[in-house]
Amino acid sequence: MSGSAGVHDAGPDLARFPTLSADGARLLDFMREHPAAPLYRNHSGNKLLASEVAYLRRFEAEVLAAPVGWQDGGHPAWLAGLVDSVFRDVSYYRALGGRPAAFEDIAPVRRADLAADIAAFVPDHVDIARMIAFNTSGTTGHPMLVPSHPLVAGSYLAFHKRALARFGVVPSFGAGQVGVMLLGCQQRCFTYVSVTPTMGESGLAKINLHPDDWRDAADRARYLDAMAPEILAGDPVSFAELLTLPVTLRPRALISVSMMLLPGLRQRLEHRFGCPVLDIYSLNEVGPVGVFEAALGGHVLLQPQLYVEILDRDGCPVAAGQRGEIAVSGGFNFCLPLLRYRTGDHASLRLTADGPVLAGLSGRQPLRFLGRAGWLNNVDLTHALKHLPLSQFAVHQRADGFVILRLAADGARHADAARSALAALFDGGRIIIEELNVKDKALQYSSDLPGAAA
Amino acid sequence: MDNTGPLLETLTRRLLETPPEFLAEPRLLLGTTAGAGSLAVAALVNDVLLRHGARAPAAFLRRLQGDGAAGERGERNRLSLVAIAAWLLADDWFAGAGVAQEAVCRMLIEAPAELAQATAARKFVDDADRREELARVVLYRLGYRPQGETPAQASDRLSAISGVERRRLLEASRAAEKRAREIREALAAKAAQESADKWTRE
Repeated sequence: MSGSAGVHDAGPDLARFPTLSADGARLLDFMREHPAAPLYRNHSGNKLLASEVAYLRRFEAEVLAAPVGWQDGGHPAWLAGLVDSVFRDVSYYRALGGRPAAFEDIAPVRRADLAADIAAFVPDHVDIARMIAFNTSGTTGHPMLVPSHPLVAGSYLAFHKRALARFGVVPSFGAGQVGVMLLGCQQRCFTYVSVTPTMGESGLAKINLHPDDWRDAADRARYLDAMAPEILAGDPVSFAELLTLPVTLRPRALISVSMMLLPGLRQRLEHRFGCPVLDIYSLNEVGPVGVFEAALGGHVLLQPQLYVEILDRDGCPVAAGQRGEIAVSGGFNFCLPLLRYRTGDHASLRLTADGPVLAGLSGRQPLRFLGRAGWLNNVDLTHALKHLPLSQFAVHQRADGFVILRLAADGARHADAARSALAALFDGGRIIIEELNVKDKALQYSSDLPGAAA
Repeated sequence: MDNTGPLLETLTRRLLETPPEFLAEPRLLLGTTAGAGSLAVAALVNDVLLRHGARAPAAFLRRLQGDGAAGERGERNRLSLVAIAAWLLADDWFAGAGVAQEAVCRMLIEAPAELAQATAARKFVDDADRREELARVVLYRLGYRPQGETPAQASDRLSAISGVERRRLLEASRAAEKRAREIREALAAKAAQESADKWTRE
């Protein structure tokens, strides 16, 4: 303990946890050193300064209270100010030569535009010293580092609370408790423990359910039950694994992100854990966008300052209720303010009394691949290939188990290296390399094998 | 600069009063906004040349359709500046001066392409120094100087106002490149280190 304000003298933890108290430090130790704890492979932290914790509390209250939406055929009132500031402060837009008079005349941008030079999209005022980066492989084959900030990462909680509130869940965890556990199930996974300062320094742990991350595979259930998190977050692959474990914990909600959650799995999870299962549509570039509500027939939007359009192939707004590509403007990541960003995902949009709803969302299909040692998450394939400078690639597994790796023309020279990388996961004699000749978004992972859909 | 042109102030005032229809989105043939803009710049320029009693060659008009080498963003800015220059040329003084059609066409291709490389077209309307620069460049390219100035004075003034702007742009460009490099390096370094907590991971 330091001599003032009860802040823990945490040495190397100080940068990760600038406001850590002695109680918070004890909870970190408890989560790390529990006899059934996994092998935590990484470090992370909230990195929030005291003033930022106070800001986040205010932000959270505002997000919970603010309406989301706009008039049919109109724009939200804040949008014009956003466009002005982006054309003034962001070099990519300054180079366009002045803002167009009409919002719809702003040329939409794609992930490829961001991936080509992400620095051009970071506003002048962002403090580089405190910036952080999130790695994203995406489904379009354009790997990218998303610029962010501890405040942005900390803001996710506000939108999750808004989503949980729609299901009647108000998180109540606090000091000495584990609030949320993030579950992964991959051969390689970023794992760590942390605390959430806006929730009484309750615990946060990101763990990997893959048996390789545990001293004893049976420890997985023991550890989950011992931590007893109030909320579990994960994706359909990790939740499917969770269902195989003899856990007795009773979380108040499950939050699924990253991939499409099929109704069958949702129902099994709801039945097993007796709590709501939230399917959140979330993107690294913009954070949580919407949460699925069956009664509304789609994902109801969560961010008061995110404008969503549905565009046709040419970038023009479709007629009301028509299906098209989701494009977003605004968001809470002040390191990456977006204007008409084409997400690559598709849906139609309906304005309802509960707010705008994305209906029929598609574009995030989770897949498993059958490797030498059993089923693999598609993220494991991304990991295996990510060291190669491939602009775009797609992997397909045929019904006979052969794996077809399709590479864009500029990736042909890396074909041998890519084959070697995949040979660590699959039988090398059953890997075929072909040319990828898709001009737009490719379905990056596909399979004809029964059971591939998680 | 052998010939005397109009008072500079009449041209800069005209630029300040550029009507909104000349500032509308130019229609491009390329890019994600192809066909979306409302301003057909080639047709606009054709109308201005007709006002001068000249016919625009088809090959010249094709270079105003927005499919040039500058790419979508560059073409948008270039054509916006062509439209502003066309508004300037529609002034009664130019219509009555009998400027050679070939010189007008060459000026409309060359001057906006150069000026729009580094400066937003709209600044040639909104900013006093840029209005003066555009007015002087147009006169110079057509062989005229502002009324009341000697050729030497006009040449010095054009060099000064363009030189100051070029230096400013060069410094701004260097600063922008430096910051972009720092952002790229910071992102790469921070991605290799560790992140900050998010409640969920996409």
